Amino acid sequence: MIELVRRFAAADPARVAIITEDDQWSYGRLAAEADALAHGLRASGTDRFAIVSNDVPFIVALMAASSLVGAEACVYAPDITTEDLVRQAGTFGHEVVATTRTDLGDLPVTLRTPEDLRAEGPRIDQLPDSRPLLVLTTGTTGLPRGVRHDWSRQLSRTTAARDAAGQVWLLAYGPQQFAGLQVLIHVFSTGATLMAPPVRRPQAVMEALHTHGVDHISATPTFWRFLLAELRADDRPVPSLRQITLGGEAAPASLLEGLTETFPEARISHIYAGSEFGSTGSVRDGQGGLPAALLERGGDGDISLKIVDGELFVRSSASMLGYHGDTDLPEGEWWPTGDVVEVVGERIEFRGRKSDVINVGGVKVHPLPVEERVSSVPGVKVVRAYGRTNALVGAVVAIDVVPDGTVDERALKESIRSACADLPRPWQPRSIQVVEETAMKGNKIVRGTEER
Amino acid sequence: MNDVQGTILEIVGSLLERANKGDVEVTLDAPIHGDGLGLDSLETAELSALLEDEFGTDPFGAGLMPENISEIVAFYATVEGAGESALA
Repeated sequence: MIELVRRFAAADPARVAIITEDDQWSYGRLAAEADALAHGLRASGTDRFAIVSNDVPFIVALMAASSLVGAEACVYAPDITTEDLVRQAGTFGHEVVATTRTDLGDLPVTLRTPEDLRAEGPRIDQLPDSRPLLVLTTGTTGLPRGVRHDWSRQLSRTTAARDAAGQVWLLAYGPQQFAGLQVLIHVFSTGATLMAPPVRRPQAVMEALHTHGVDHISATPTFWRFLLAELRADDRPVPSLRQITLGGEAAPASLLEGLTETFPEARISHIYAGSEFGSTGSVRDGQGGLPAALLERGGDGDISLKIVDGELFVRSSASMLGYHGDTDLPEGEWWPTGDVVEVVGERIEFRGRKSDVINVGGVKVHPLPVEERVSSVPGVKVVRAYGRTNALVGAVVAIDVVPDGTVDERALKESIRSACADLPRPWQPRSIQVVEETAMKGNKIVRGTEER
Repeated sequence: MNDVQGTILEIVGSLLERANKGDVEVTLDAPIHGDGLGLDSLETAELSALLEDEFGTDPFGAGLMPENISEIVAFYATVEGAGESALA
């Protein structure tokens, strides 16, 4: 990370690296802050630590500092409760927590503020051999898992990145998410500008889009769906986006159509990535899924894909080293992604998560095609399909629908049922609930089978 | 006819209509399966989900296997507070 920030700090120190609600950070200032924090980490003998902060410049500077001295940084959710913080620090053996929060009180860990961590010293040029980084997975239940990465592996494909001066990217992911890290790496490796809003929900970023000239956004399909709905309800002209990137979930065709209509000038890409197997790069042809040609790239490239029993496997030079507490994975290990796919013509199409499969009386139902069907029904703003335990057939497909207010509830349920009438019977939603919002985690919809 | 019973009959009626069995007469003592309403396993599962949506609990989920509508109505008569959402 330090090499990215320093590259543009040397070439164009005044260039804006990060815009926050009330401040601006140039590449020069960011590099100087990273240097100071690196000296502080080294002086205090901190070789592993957690970061608990919603101050994105501080997080980025600390990440860069840790990549300079080989200390393992781990970003926690910025709004983590003190209870979860203590539990998580115990699980991952974090004794030091770097924070800008003032509400944490007295905890059984050492809290360090930016002021505590800054120290002076000569510029450090020699990068250590090992530059670890710990990323937490966004598990839907219980404690997250720690995924060990290495900065050199993560950055290996950014060296030839072009100069994208003037591009303003929105940080729509949390800084603790692997996808958020990918955005940071992309922005700083191309010398672009990051706009870091204090709240990253679609409803909350509208103002920032207009005020700060955001023209590039990478976000989940769920985020985009809500953003489109917000834009429809907003009187101002639609911001002219040049780049739309989707990742984290499969993107239904209906959403891609909506995005193309709303942002005719924008290029639409997909990123297929996971905390464990890293990013497989972006697909820029604007279609859903991945090109099937990726399966034939042989085994020598940085990234290879294969399908085993309907599940996509990835082998990547940017994959994790291993889980926290586990030994390193063997080099060149294939990673089961948990994504169920099917090759249709020239495309690898995503059917859903293996763990999201709903078993209806022995028939395996994938929630995504059901959602796709329902999301095209007029009057539907957002839909979430999931399995609901059922005493008679194990589980049934249930859907939660957020209406857009244009269609009466009874008529809406009627049209949803008609739209699903030609699906195989186990796939048809047996319960349709009209709700105000759907269950989400990290701007992704929660699926899988729920106990009631 | 009380409101819980009316709501149950309405749920069953619309379920049958969607299953193209709109001409089947819904009576309190008609058997749910077989020659009566003729609900198959998925339709019964849907009935269970719809009743739960409406009343927050349902006889199938509670481990019972009611054989006709009366038994479903009887189930709610024994559950305290059930039917409130239907009355509201």
